[in-house]
This record gives sequence, structure tokens and C-alpha cells, in this order.
Amino acid sequence: MLANADAKATVGVLANPASGRDIRRLVAQASVFPTAEKANMVQRICGALGTLGIARVLMSTDLGGISAAVLRATRNRRASQSPWPDLEFCELDRFTETAEDTVTQVRRMIDAGARVIICLGGDGTARAVASACGDVPLLPLSTGTNNAFPQLREATVAGLAAGLVAAGVIDPATATQQTSVLEVRAGDRVELALVDVCVSTATHIGSRALWDPAALTELYCTFAEPDGIGLSSVPGQLCPSPRTEPTGVVLRLCAPEVARHVVHAPIAPGLVLPVGVRSWRPLRPGEELPVSADHGVVAVDGEREIELRRGEPATVRLRADGPRCVDVTRVLGIAAREGWLRDSQQHQ
Amino acid sequence: MTETLSTPAAGELNAEGLLDAYRTMRTIRVFEERVHDEFATGEIPGFVHLYAGEEASATGVCSHLDARDSIASTHRGHGHCIAKGVDPVEMMAEIYGKRTGSCHGKGGSMHIADLSKGMLGANGIVGGGPPLICGTALAAKQQNNGGVGVAFFGDGASNQGTTLESLNLASVWNLPAIFVAENNGYAEATASTWSVAADNIADRAAGFGMPGVIVDGFDFFAVHEAAGEAISRAREGGGPTLIEVKFTRYFGHFEGDQQAYRADEVANARDKLDCLKRFRARVTESGQLESSALDTVDSEVAALIESAVTEAKAAPKPTGVDLETDVYVSY
Amino acid sequence: MARTISYREALNEALRQEMHRDSSVIVMGEDNAGGAGAPGADDAWGGVLGVTKGLYHEFPGRVLDTPISESAFVGAAIGAATRGMRPVAELMFIDFMGVCFDQIFNQAAKFRYMFGGKAVTPVVIRTMYGAGLRAAAQHSQSLYPIFTTVPGLKVVVPSSPYEAKGLLAQAIRDDDPVIFCEHKAMYDAVGEVPEESYTIPFGEANIVREGEDVTIVAFGRMVSVAAQAADELAASGVQADVLDPRTTSPLDTESILESVENTGRLVVVDEATPRCNLATDVAALVAKEAFGALRAPIEMVTAPHTPVPFSDALEDLYIPDAQRVVNATKSVVQWQR
Repeated sequence: MLANADAKATVGVLANPASGRDIRRLVAQASVFPTAEKANMVQRICGALGTLGIARVLMSTDLGGISAAVLRATRNRRASQSPWPDLEFCELDRFTETAEDTVTQVRRMIDAGARVIICLGGDGTARAVASACGDVPLLPLSTGTNNAFPQLREATVAGLAAGLVAAGVIDPATATQQTSVLEVRAGDRVELALVDVCVSTATHIGSRALWDPAALTELYCTFAEPDGIGLSSVPGQLCPSPRTEPTGVVLRLCAPEVARHVVHAPIAPGLVLPVGVRSWRPLRPGEELPVSADHGVVAVDGEREIELRRGEPATVRLRADGPRCVDVTRVLGIAAREGWLRDSQQHQ
Repeated sequence: MTETLSTPAAGELNAEGLLDAYRTMRTIRVFEERVHDEFATGEIPGFVHLYAGEEASATGVCSHLDARDSIASTHRGHGHCIAKGVDPVEMMAEIYGKRTGSCHGKGGSMHIADLSKGMLGANGIVGGGPPLICGTALAAKQQNNGGVGVAFFGDGASNQGTTLESLNLASVWNLPAIFVAENNGYAEATASTWSVAADNIADRAAGFGMPGVIVDGFDFFAVHEAAGEAISRAREGGGPTLIEVKFTRYFGHFEGDQQAYRADEVANARDKLDCLKRFRARVTESGQLESSALDTVDSEVAALIESAVTEAKAAPKPTGVDLETDVYVSY
Repeated sequence: MARTISYREALNEALRQEMHRDSSVIVMGEDNAGGAGAPGADDAWGGVLGVTKGLYHEFPGRVLDTPISESAFVGAAIGAATRGMRPVAELMFIDFMGVCFDQIFNQAAKFRYMFGGKAVTPVVIRTMYGAGLRAAAQHSQSLYPIFTTVPGLKVVVPSSPYEAKGLLAQAIRDDDPVIFCEHKAMYDAVGEVPEESYTIPFGEANIVREGEDVTIVAFGRMVSVAAQAADELAASGVQADVLDPRTTSPLDTESILESVENTGRLVVVDEATPRCNLATDVAALVAKEAFGALRAPIEMVTAPHTPVPFSDALEDLYIPDAQRVVNATKSVVQWQR
């Protein structure tokens, strides 16, 4: 359809089978996102990419049934249906069923020429993809209600924006937004967060999620939106910091009874809880702060990842070199202005 | 603000609780490893299915339970029995078919029970337990004692009608029931990725109007926390929960299984994921327990299992007078 | 004069009196109240059999409607019984044992033995059996012999309103699992039933009628068929001893043998199909234990070895009737070597 589409244009699609089954289904009312719907999203993306004339899609494989459902769909497609790109499945020699599978597959997609990576999952999936995608534009799609970083957006529309970027009709610098990341270091352990880093007095990683505000002591955010979900909604309602700005925000938390500010924040789907804030201030890019707590756990993007060890100080640093994310609204706005998705009338 | 280690965060165990949990997991492990070794000598009769590798599940769940609460188990039931307080010495005697056993030698490995402890029995019928737990949870609700029922079942039983009927009934009656799907990857020799048409057993919860969550079954703390939330929710009248615990069993389906259907996952699990190793590393790194305290437990458990085997071997078998007793209360 | 009520009312009264007597008695089954979650009245049915009618309002929270999930709720009744309750579960038709038998014969029946005598499972499973209502092959069977073969279960086949009330009260108070088999053609049968609560012990046969010429042992609804046959036989001078064992497990072997020692002749009447049923069981017992007393071969009057037919013309042939009992008895009495 696009006269100037590159015949080798390739899009990588990473769908995480494990997302959306954690304890937030029990302690809150977080959504349960079915695998079948993830497979449907991939098909809708393929439909949009095919319409744009994108040649090739590299699809992740998994043991959770997403890639199997997509493969089944390719076999059952009818001639009357609109064309799809060639679909190649990114085989893994061995599944670890951890984030390592995601990282390996994204690297292979990029080595094989992917110009955009679309990822389906939550904050954790996006984090794993971001650690591997380098400068290749990322389009994270949320598969559930619990995510601050990826957007809850129709996959067909996202597919169109990704296709326009992959086809080379729009300059990646124009099409994407540079994001920030938070880097946590504790001894030799390093974790990246796309949205927030939070310190909890919980001793163990346990079931990973955080939902008890009484246990939280420090919160660092790359951005804070008033309409966000998760921990970043606390500064989102107190001291918003837009995604488009490189600065972040850092907060000291405490019990609501002794707090200067109490924010009623949607810290998880279904949970609007009072969170006590002792103080807050902006966090500058490059700034590194020591974690005050000498024990407890550090959560990244709402999931406990690091158990602190005595005598091993931890630090949090805001870095400006996060993944470049496709700005779907901007790309399709430009497409409208340029008429990329319009046919010119030949017969007048 | 600094928390002291003697005051754990809400829902967490104190040092004594942690040591108890370690003792339970260690007891299960050593018990099962020993039964594995002894079975190879030919002295233990019948079918034996071992729980080694799965200790964090039984222990993480049962550490929240008390006398009001009941559990139902599976053919792979030794771990659940130990975690719910059944005496390992009597259990070992039962496995040897001795009169001093938990069931006087009439039940064996697949039917060890102690109703006085709320342990409704290992169960030789796949999917046998969930309906029973609907009943014990109903009893707790009728008696208004805050008790809960926990049905442990495997990935195989997740496909049984009894299990699915029970999930439905538990929601319809809003029972204080917790369904713990122990997905060790195989129903006998058949992979759960093949036999379970849903992508996760936990996904089935949505169809029965209850929360379904997945936890890492090698991680005691993950199981303990998820089970704690589900159990307190049930005690408060919040209804049932389905928890899918994913891990690998260390031995075959039964003792004697050559396991040709498996790859090398056990070696990797024992090396990198093992619940006991990880527990020990984490509680010592966090400063919650000293290594020496855990070492003491190790030697106490070793002595306990050693004496259990010695006693079991020396104990008398039941005799003809036992054959026809215990069928009815009165007849 | 004693009060006369129906078999259905007698069962209802036993449940009511036991629920008053013991707060651990609960009742559950499909439509046991009826109307759960529906826009109309609660307790709309009182069970499809109408046996539990009225209990829902009288005992709030203790009469539970269930989904159509026999495995789950029969299992739940069994589980609750291990934890201090005395549940009475209604398995609507005995034929439905096919979908929940595991919970009955692998769980409830075996707990006590498997667990070394440490389990007490006081559950009652009430169920409707028998032919005669043109209910066809899947709603008409007499399957109590199957339960009778299972060690650990007690099996009750009440033959009249009086028996129904006293045996159900006993079943609820009994500490073992009981399968309580109610004949669907008897719910409207009436008889004298005392108003006060009473129990009838298990394993003690009722001698319905005394006679010296022949022993007729009959089960459940067949007791009234045998009694009617005995009346006809008396008119022709044959005096029959008619025994109702009341329970097939335990079975009152002593009374049966004692009667045959007297009469020397045995007819067994059983509505079940003829292989491995109560007729063959009693016949084997007598042949082994009272062979010396027998003066004629044993006769068995049973259903044929077929499923229960639907058409009234066939079903009437299927069910043993008084005429067949009379004929069988006469052949026994008239038998000569």
C-alpha cells in the first residue's frame, strides 16, 4: 500500500505468556488477560502491518500457547482475507520460562533486522524488552490493567504506527519519545525500572507484587501521571511529572498518621489506598541517591526484585537513556497530515 | 525509620516461624530421600509417590493453618501430611505396612491420614480431594469457627470433573476453601503443557468466579505470602481462591519410574531452584536466622528420620485379628 | 387411633425432628429448597421428591440447594461429616450414582478402614430408586445391591411410612455412611406413623407376617408385594412367614435362617436385576447355612436381566408382582422330589 515501503521492512512482536497472573488477582481485582486475546492482538497487528505492505514479522515463541495460536491462525487463513506479512517464529533452543527468554528473543529479532519491537505484556515484560532493544524503537502494549509503562491501546492502531516506522516513511527520531530509566544497584546486582523503584520493609521477594502501603518507605519515579495506575500514581496526584520530561521525582513515604501529605492513590487495580508522604522533590537525570533502608526489598515497576543485604548499600540513579518508544498518537497524526493512509483519486 | 528484625512486616514469619518452616521442609525432604533409598532395597511394599522438590508448597500453605483447618491431599501426600502435623515416625511405619503406623498398616503411603489434625488423607483417586474440602469448608462455615479447607491437587487432577465441580460449588456456596494446584509438569508421564488445555491452571479460576494466581513453587516466601492472603481472605468470608504452584518433582511419578519422558530439568532444579537451598541463603543473608540454627535443625531431622526407619523396620506387622476390624463404627 | 401419613411425610418428619434434635444435621441436594437464585418463591419445591419441603424456612442456613454437581456435593457432604456435621445429601435418583460413585465407595466407605479406625463419617445419602413411574432406563433402577457389596457402607430399603421414619432417624444418628434408598412409587403410600420421634435399629428384620409353610424374604417396595401375595396364599391354605430385612447391609441373617429352619422353604423377592442381587445373596446364605432344613429348591422373584423399559406394557412385565410371588411360592410349596 505504501509506495515507498521498504521491501525488507521487518517488525518484531514479543508476547509474554506469563504476564498477568500474579497475586494482584487475589489481593486486588487486577485483570486476567487470556492467552487467546494475546494471540488475537498479534493477529490484529499482523493485519495492520500486512495492509501497509510490511514484508516480515518476527514472532516470539512460548510454551504458554500464544505462538501456537498464532501459527494455527496462519494455517486457517482464507484467501479472501487481507494479506499478512511473512511470519517467522523466533525459535529458542531451550525455554527457561523466565525473563531470559524475552531478552534472548528480542536480541535475535534485532539481529535478524527488526526495525520496531512491539511487546505485549506488562511493566515487567516491557522492562525485559527495554534491556535488550537498544536504539530500536519499542512499542509496548499493555495486556492488562496493572501497567504504568505500556499503553492500553488497540493493537490494530499500534500495528499501523509500528508499520509506518518500520517502513521508513517516518524518521524514527520524530516518531519516538526518549524515555528515562531508573538503575538500582545493590552490590553486584543491577535492575532497571521504567516507571518506579520502591523500597519496602518486607524481608523477602515473596509473591513479588506490592500492595501494602504501610510497608513502603521510599519511592523513585521516572514520571508521574495524574491518571496513572500503580505506585507512580502517588506523585501523580501530588507532584505530577510528565513522561515527556527527563526529570523524575523521589518521595519519602511514611505512615499516613504522621504524614505531611496523604494521597489516596490507585496503587493497584481495585485498590485506592491512603499513602503517607513525608517529603518529595524532583529527581534530575544522572542524579544518584543512596537507598536509606539497610534492609528490606527493592521493587522495580511494582515487583519486588532485590532483597537488601546488611552492609551492602544500594543506590538508585535516574538515567536518560531509556528505550525509544513509538509515539502512536504523533505518528498517526503525521500520517493524517501527510495522507499516508489515504488513496489519491485517479479518476476525476 | 528503621525496623528491627524482631518485628517482621505484616504477614511475615518471625525467627521461630521461619525455623519451624525450615524444619518442616527439611523433614519432608529427608523423609522422601530416605524412602527413595529404602524403597530401592525392596523392603517397602506397594506404590510410593514422593514429594521431594515440592516442599515449599505444603509448608508455605500449612504454616498458616491451625486446628480449625483441614486439608485434603493426593497420592503424593507425604509432604502434606508432615506439614499438617502428622507424626513422621508413624508415617514411616505406615509406609512399611506396620501395626504401629498412622493407619495401623491398613492404609499405606497413599492413604496416610490423621483426622484429629485435620488431615483428610493422602488420596489414591486423582481429583478425590476437592469435593471433600468443599465439605470441610462448609462445616467450618456452618460452625462459624473461621476455619478453612485446603485442597491440594495436581495438574492431572485439574482436568478431573470433581475438581471443576468443586471450584464451582465453592464459589456458589462462597466457601472458605483454597484450591492449591501443584503443577509439577507431569500427570504420571504426560506433560501438563499437553493435557491442560488452558494455558495455566490458574486461568480456570476466572470461569468459576474466583481469583487465580500463579506462584513460584520453589520459593517458600512466594507460596507463604500468596497462601496467607488467600487464607485470610477465606477466613473473613471472602470466598475461595485457586493458587497454581509451579515446580518440578525430583523423583519419578512413582518409585521405579525410569522417567524416560523427562529431560534434564531435575538436575537444574536441584542445583539452581531448590526451595531449601534458596530458603537457607535468603534467611541467612537477611540476618533472620543463623546458619548454625539451621544446621542444628538438619542434624535433628536426620536423627528423627533415622529413628523413624529403625522403629518402622522393627515394628510388628498387623495380624489376622486386625483384618476385619475398623470397617464400621458399629455393624 | 394412630395417625396416618404418607411415606413422603414420614421422611419429612424424621428430617425435621432430627434437625431439631441435633444442630449438626444439615440437608443438601438439587432443589432441596428449590428456587435458589430464581425470582420467585424460596422453597418452591422442597426437593423434586417434595421430601424436604418446609425445612428451608424452619432451619435457616441448614437446607442447601446445590448445583447439579453430584460429585461435588456428595463429596462435600462426606467431607463435612468428617468435621463434626451430620449431613443428609439427596442424590435425586439412585441412577445418578454413576457420576459420583467415587466419592461414595472410594472415599466415604473406606475412610475408617484406610485410616486405621480413626475416621467417623456420619453421612446419609438419601436416594430414590425403583421402577413403576414410566421413568425409563436411567431413572428407574434398583441399584442397592451395588452399594451392598461395598464394605463400609450401610444400605437401607424402607418398606412403609412407619419404617421410613424410624429408619431415617436411625440413619442420621448412625456414625457410619448410610445409603438410604426410597422407592419412588411409595412416596404417596400411607400408613400409621407415630408422631413422636423413634428409631428402628439396623440389621433387625421385621417379621411382617408369620407362617409355617414358607419363608418369603422381600426388600423395599417388594415387601408390600410379598404381603399381598401372602394374603392370597393364605386363602389357598399356604401360610407364609414374610420377612422385611429393612437393611441390606447389615443383613439380619439370623432371622432369615431362623425362619427357614422353621418353614424349610424360601422365596426371595427383589426388584433388582437377577445377577448378584439380594435374592442371590440370601439364597446363597440359606443354601450354605440352612441346607439341612430345606425341603425344596429356593425360588427367586426378580426383574429380568434387562434395563428398565419405558412402555407401560413392558414395565409392568418387568416389575415383580404379587401373582409372580404367588406362583413362585406355590411351586416351592408343591415341590416334590
